[in-house]
Amino acid sequence: MADVRAQLARLRSRLRYLGAQLLRRKPVTAMAEETGADSGSGQLTRTIGLFQLSMIGIGGVIGTGIFFVLSQAVPMAGPAVVWSFVIAGVVAGLTAVCYAELASAVPVSGSSYSYAYATLGEFAAMVVAACLLLEYGVSTAAVAVGWSQYLNQLLENLFGIQIPQALSAAPDAGGWLNLPAVVLVGLCALLLIRGTSESARVNAAMVVTKLCVLALFIVIGVRGWNSDNLAHFAPYGVSGVYGAAGVIFFTFVGLDAVSTAGEEVKNPRRTMPLAIMIALGTVILVYVCVALVAVAAQPAEKFKDQEAGLAAILQDVVGASWPGTVLAAGAIISIFSVTLVVLYGQTRILFAMSRDGLVPSVFRKVNPRTVTPVRNTVIVAVAVAVLAGLIPIDFLSEMTSIGTLVAFIVVSVGVIVLRRTAPDLPRGFRVPGYPLTPVLSVVGCILIITNLRPITIVAFLVWTIAVLAWYFAWGMKHSELGRAERERASVEDGTP
Amino acid sequence: MSLVLGLPRGERTTAALNLAAQLARSSGEDLVVCAVGPATWPPSLAKVDAEYQEYLDQAIQQSLDAAKATLPPDVSASFVAVRARSTPAGLLEVADQQGASMLVLGSSSAGGTGRVSLGSVADHVLHSAPIPVAMAPRGYRCAPGPGATVRRVTAGYGATGGSEQFAVGAAGLATRFNATLRLASFAVRPGPVLTAGVGLHAEDGVLGEWSRHIERVQRDTLAHLAALPAAPLAMEAVIGYGRDWQESVEDVGWTDGDLLVVGSSAVGPLARVFLGSRASKIVRNSPVPVVVLPRS
Repeated sequence: MADVRAQLARLRSRLRYLGAQLLRRKPVTAMAEETGADSGSGQLTRTIGLFQLSMIGIGGVIGTGIFFVLSQAVPMAGPAVVWSFVIAGVVAGLTAVCYAELASAVPVSGSSYSYAYATLGEFAAMVVAACLLLEYGVSTAAVAVGWSQYLNQLLENLFGIQIPQALSAAPDAGGWLNLPAVVLVGLCALLLIRGTSESARVNAAMVVTKLCVLALFIVIGVRGWNSDNLAHFAPYGVSGVYGAAGVIFFTFVGLDAVSTAGEEVKNPRRTMPLAIMIALGTVILVYVCVALVAVAAQPAEKFKDQEAGLAAILQDVVGASWPGTVLAAGAIISIFSVTLVVLYGQTRILFAMSRDGLVPSVFRKVNPRTVTPVRNTVIVAVAVAVLAGLIPIDFLSEMTSIGTLVAFIVVSVGVIVLRRTAPDLPRGFRVPGYPLTPVLSVVGCILIITNLRPITIVAFLVWTIAVLAWYFAWGMKHSELGRAERERASVEDGTP
Repeated sequence: MSLVLGLPRGERTTAALNLAAQLARSSGEDLVVCAVGPATWPPSLAKVDAEYQEYLDQAIQQSLDAAKATLPPDVSASFVAVRARSTPAGLLEVADQQGASMLVLGSSSAGGTGRVSLGSVADHVLHSAPIPVAMAPRGYRCAPGPGATVRRVTAGYGATGGSEQFAVGAAGLATRFNATLRLASFAVRPGPVLTAGVGLHAEDGVLGEWSRHIERVQRDTLAHLAALPAAPLAMEAVIGYGRDWQESVEDVGWTDGDLLVVGSSAVGPLARVFLGSRASKIVRNSPVPVVVLPRS
């Protein structure tokens, strides 16, 4: 009897130890130390105002998917896809607000991975990391595939040539390899290895470019308005609308860029929610206008498998190729910048994880010559290029969406958890309408996820389990935080 | 061993002479001031250009006389006039004849005051000379009198392949000039990527990791140099940070008596000076005189 009791006690202590490991949080001071280096950049100046923050939001979001998402979303929802945009946008807005609170509770800058690590613990951080790898890596691939469609359209319009189908489509879509997408990822990787930055001015220029291209589509496309196309407004009902919202959701990825800039924002309590609302309002307005013009210009059946959709619609409306050419050129520039930015984000998230000891140290090796993590960039680029070259776009965009949605759920739940476990933690920004906002955010995300294709959900689960298996097998032992704890414990025990 | 100064024309002579005098004073070597004129044509019976040749000889002699007057009195120098098919060729020839240990040049007048800028002669020499080449910033002056020597040699240290040998070369230079040695590495980090959603300080982590690596390499190199038979008087290491090369070079701090040394590119030929792309960025942003070492 005593034996059993002793065993039980041992088991319990072991479980408690495991729980402590899963919930160990990274101290904020450690984060501040490692980002500050001794480069004199540790001290912060709050320099970002409302306008610039809104531009960051708009720049982060617009252009990720609107150029090609309609060909997947309209067949699912019909013209009611307009509502899908609104739903996806509102859910993205709710989560961005939650995200902003979490970010403001951690007074150093980072991605949602770092915020989760500092507030919710290592396990949650790992789940968020799994989602982010999808959000960034897979969306880079998706965006690169969309780029190759517009490149083909531009080549066709300008020179009358096209890259053969075998070299411009994934095997599942009737080709061998999507070569332009692979080339795009390679080019972006080269730029990142050389070292790149995106100043406020560059971002503003990109925002203007993207908005001009989309405005061109709206202004010209509206001349092809045909109310007959809207007659069967919602042929697949509410579930179709939600399903399309799931596909569309990834066009709102990037709104979190607003939250991660929080540390440098002047008067965050007021600026943050305003900027999120301005950015989101602008984006939803533009997206809804684009979608409305598109579904009114051509019947819903024509969207399926339409490549370089917006350019094709314009050409049909005008009956000439020039608007398509202009739009394709604008899209190529916009999508290029987005690919670069997202690929960059991916390498820096892996870099942060590597510094925490959760992925191998190869990801944090910095080339002494270029001062950039070259190996990290190459590995990420190869992985993304393989995805972009071999996997069709509809699957890629759904995988991105589900990754983002789950990351957002963790963040929203995190806000609630943190309010309970650490109510006194100073927060630069608090969610308005607590607890309704985070709850609505979680419900909205779950609603969208359940309407995704089963295969996407299965693939996501497999991926998450794989990442967590990696964590339990490798990351847990190599975690820098764990190592530090063990060292401290051994010092206290007096054993070497 | 001697220093050969390629005498520039006009207002630029003073800066080059100042540097040459400072270097000669520091190392105790002789100074050879060299003016190069265009080569004569093959002699013709008509002697149509005899007067022109005479005029050229006079002009060269005048510039040498002017240099003699400008040169600080405590430095002994010899003055040479040569005729060559091109200025770089003439300079390299004289340097070869004199067994020179270093070639000194002035900046082009196209650059800003206080900066090193390469004219056509310097550009040619910096991609072919077999000996170290020193460049004075435009309008360079050092404190007059016998005290104006090189006090600290700063080696622009890349911590990449071949840099160990470069460090040894720079240490040799410091010993020769009786100066201290400072290893300086420069990090040019671009600003943040605003819309990536990874925070505005993602680059700081990368930079921190880089700094740790560079500091380790610098420490190892300093230990290696300290073991040399002719180690410099004192050694230190610094890292300069900045958004561009100018900020980054300025970040390490410069004073009177400083000299910056950079190495030749690994893609250049062995035992020759060959200014690489990064070295030329450092050179262009240097507020102090620069020496480019050949690849060893």
